[in-house]
Amino acid sequence: MALRLRLEDVTFSYPLPGKDEAAALEGVTLSVEPNSVLCLAGANGSGKSTLAQVCTGLLAPTSGALYYGEERIEGRGTLREFRRKVGLLFQNPEDQLFADTVEKDIAFGPRNHGLKGDELSRRVSESAQLVGLSLEKLGARSPFSLSEGEKRRAALAGVLALDPEVLVLDEPFIGLDYEGRHSLESSLERYRDERGASIVIVTHELSHVWSLATAFGLISEGRLVRFETREQLLSGDTDIGALGMHLPQWGALARELLRAGISIGDPTDPRALAGAMAERRGAGGGA
Amino acid sequence: MTDDHSAEISTEDLSYTYDTGRQPALTEVSLQFERGKMYALLGRNGSGKSTLARCLNGLLVPSSGRVLSCGLDTADPLNALAIAGKVAMVFQNPDTQMVGATVEEEVAFGPENLGLEPSEILRRVDRALDLAGITGLALRQPLRLSQGQKQLVAIAGAIAMEPDFLVSDESTSMLDYTARLRVLDLFERLRRGGMGIVHVTHFLEEATLADKVVVLDAGRVEAAGTPAETLGDPGRVRALGLDPLAVRVVAYELGRLGHAVPDDVLSVKELMSWLYA
Amino acid sequence: MRWRSEGGPAVALDDITIGQYISAPTLLHRVDPRLKLVAVVACTVLVFLYDGWALLAFAVMIVALLAVCGLPLLQILKALRTVWVIVFVTFLLQLFLTPGQIIWQWGFLTITDAGLSNGAIFSGRVLLLVVLLSALTMTTPPLKLADGLESLLKPLAWLRVPVARITTIVSITLMFIPKILDQSRKLVRAQMARGADFESANVLRRVKDILPVLVPLFVKVFHDADELAVAMDARAYGGGTRRTRLHPLHIHLPEALLTAAFVAAAIAMTFIP
Repeated sequence: MALRLRLEDVTFSYPLPGKDEAAALEGVTLSVEPNSVLCLAGANGSGKSTLAQVCTGLLAPTSGALYYGEERIEGRGTLREFRRKVGLLFQNPEDQLFADTVEKDIAFGPRNHGLKGDELSRRVSESAQLVGLSLEKLGARSPFSLSEGEKRRAALAGVLALDPEVLVLDEPFIGLDYEGRHSLESSLERYRDERGASIVIVTHELSHVWSLATAFGLISEGRLVRFETREQLLSGDTDIGALGMHLPQWGALARELLRAGISIGDPTDPRALAGAMAERRGAGGGA
Repeated sequence: MTDDHSAEISTEDLSYTYDTGRQPALTEVSLQFERGKMYALLGRNGSGKSTLARCLNGLLVPSSGRVLSCGLDTADPLNALAIAGKVAMVFQNPDTQMVGATVEEEVAFGPENLGLEPSEILRRVDRALDLAGITGLALRQPLRLSQGQKQLVAIAGAIAMEPDFLVSDESTSMLDYTARLRVLDLFERLRRGGMGIVHVTHFLEEATLADKVVVLDAGRVEAAGTPAETLGDPGRVRALGLDPLAVRVVAYELGRLGHAVPDDVLSVKELMSWLYA
Repeated sequence: MRWRSEGGPAVALDDITIGQYISAPTLLHRVDPRLKLVAVVACTVLVFLYDGWALLAFAVMIVALLAVCGLPLLQILKALRTVWVIVFVTFLLQLFLTPGQIIWQWGFLTITDAGLSNGAIFSGRVLLLVVLLSALTMTTPPLKLADGLESLLKPLAWLRVPVARITTIVSITLMFIPKILDQSRKLVRAQMARGADFESANVLRRVKDILPVLVPLFVKVFHDADELAVAMDARAYGGGTRRTRLHPLHIHLPEALLTAAFVAAAIAMTFIP
């Protein structure tokens, strides 16, 4: 299958060693397929935010190459179009929202890339709809007058308005409650399905992406340590704790069962887990 | 005979509205918090848990009803200084609560505000750094530390007030797992030392560590009790806008298959023990 | 040159912004902030009284002082990038606009001898002032600076001036400068990700794209300031009037004498023609 985004042996170091949150990247190789949700997980300081920025072209690799499809990305020529195809949503909506009105903010991206008139308004309203934001109600308001949840949606709409093929999100779920996470998950899944988009979520909290992600990359000290599916992650002996993270209860339970030799189907399906446990209990002579 | 309320915080029909005319953030909340216990406050965004936390130490004063912090009415401005010394608070964002240029200065800020003698301030600072396990960071600049270290500094700053209670307003929300464990471990040590901990969080697994869990929804107390009592029913948890514990969702399914799982099984370890029992 | 903060990672001075405090074991760090404040205020006034040679003499003394105290001058100057613009503009204005004996002409642009000397003097003054202020803020933690300021202004309290509050405002403002710059960098990055062009040759376009950053910048800063105020409240900060100190300010004889000598030398320089 044609790969979208590809990093080949990418190394990155900040020009000023000793700067706080910057962690270098060492020999990172990774690929992103269409119609997928990739989770890049790492503890704070592991290099995950740096990786997110390299993936979106905001930082240029010190060595190694970045590809989009067959095209190598470097220099201003390729960068501009690349930044349209790969969108980045920052952790804090306040780091991203800035226009007078919500509508103008969402329009900022596509307008910078030459869209105007009817086409522009159509793109803006489509994006707002995708994230569940009502332009009639909020379009003319200042982005800063919105509630936290509305701000996040406005920021996401602003990025989706570029119609990116790859969407990178840096810690999008922090501070959201259950319903907020659920709402964001549906927006992302919808965008992936309608557009065949690749979603890349960078986070330190595996529980946020446990059911959403189709593949996992674990980052530690600037290196991409593993690139696994959920099942591989659970059946291998990766020490998640040593990487500064932890499995959500779902994953931890599934892993314990697998280690006990109990086969389970879908590790995110409670009925599968319960069924497997009931069988074991029944077989053990209890019940 | 008078009851000794000096060791507790109690809210009596506490109601709070941010701006008149808007929906109240809290409605008739009556709760009691004792020293030496850990409380978890849960609720969806907007449920009022942060508002409640800020009413406990007088940062917010009730619109109606009353809050007595260690016997002192929070509505009386003359009590403000005394209450600040008894009910300390740490906040969600590690960056926006730092004042000092060094960790030592940061932790000393509170005691300095209490007007204590330098020798006493020093004693408190040393003790607080020691309890938080960050004595080695004393001369570092707070803003150059990791998020987790910053929160430990913030908690040390609160410990230095030598309070009876520590209120944590989502102080773990922005931390990674390792940092969270360190903070929770510190909370436990403080609790064992006699401090009352009120921890606002949206991590249910953290709530299972508490002695008592309070769940708010739309400004009212919808559930209050042990973790098992409040978090055991996944349907109810979901209805309150919270993400139910995986163990409890599976326990529910097991129940439907005819295998009853006790209510106090809340962790993976406990569930596996039950499996082999 | 890298400074090593006590026990912490090395801090590169290219990294430093105006007004930011750096923790390092230099001599100036240990001097009582009140002495530093008095010296800076005195020199600020004196700098405007200096003529050409006096200015040079003063500059030499400053450089020597900074070197002795372990403050790398070159790095400081590099860190003051934005100030160079002001210095340069000052120089140009004086250069082209001062009347006097013409020594060079091209079209309507004239440079006079007075222009040349004035240009050097005026821009030199600006530069020196900024270096002085930077030396102050770099070596004095904001809270200590506030303490010093408060102590010096205490007599004003008799006139009902809210000295403690003012000094807190000053120190917190200093703390916020690097935060503001940090936040603006983030906003610029977000805009770049959405196609804004900050490298385009079209200067007007660049300015147009930068301006909208100001509003969200201030929104964020006010929000953070608010959170800080709440945190300070929670730790019994009541306007600072009854605050004591872990390390109370204390002026020692050697540093007092040194400061006095420094200021005396600076005053003496006003007599240099």
